[in-house]
Amino acid sequence: MSNVAKPRNPEDDWKIWLVVNPATWLMPIFYALLVLAIAVHAVVFSVGLGWQ
Amino acid sequence: MASLSGLTDQQAKEFHEQFKVTYTAFVGLAALAHLFVIAANPWW
Repeated sequence: MSNVAKPRNPEDDWKIWLVVNPATWLMPIFYALLVLAIAVHAVVFSVGLGWQ
Repeated sequence: MASLSGLTDQQAKEFHEQFKVTYTAFVGLAALAHLFVIAANPWW
């Protein structure tokens, strides 16, 4: 396992799409981002930093 | 050799260019929103 080529980022970032097919996973990624954003807003509001 | 995702190198690079544009816009908008919150109600 040690002689696997290490990626150089950001220039090799695009290679993620050789593993993850965006036709399948772009929307799930967006929904995960939405869930994360809602969660962060919920925490921010629950600790009293929202507008009251 | 087909990739795991089935995309060719060219397709992956082409999609990544658009992904970077959209992601940059998202970060820009989020930064703007944070500046509005800082202006209205700083959290420190």
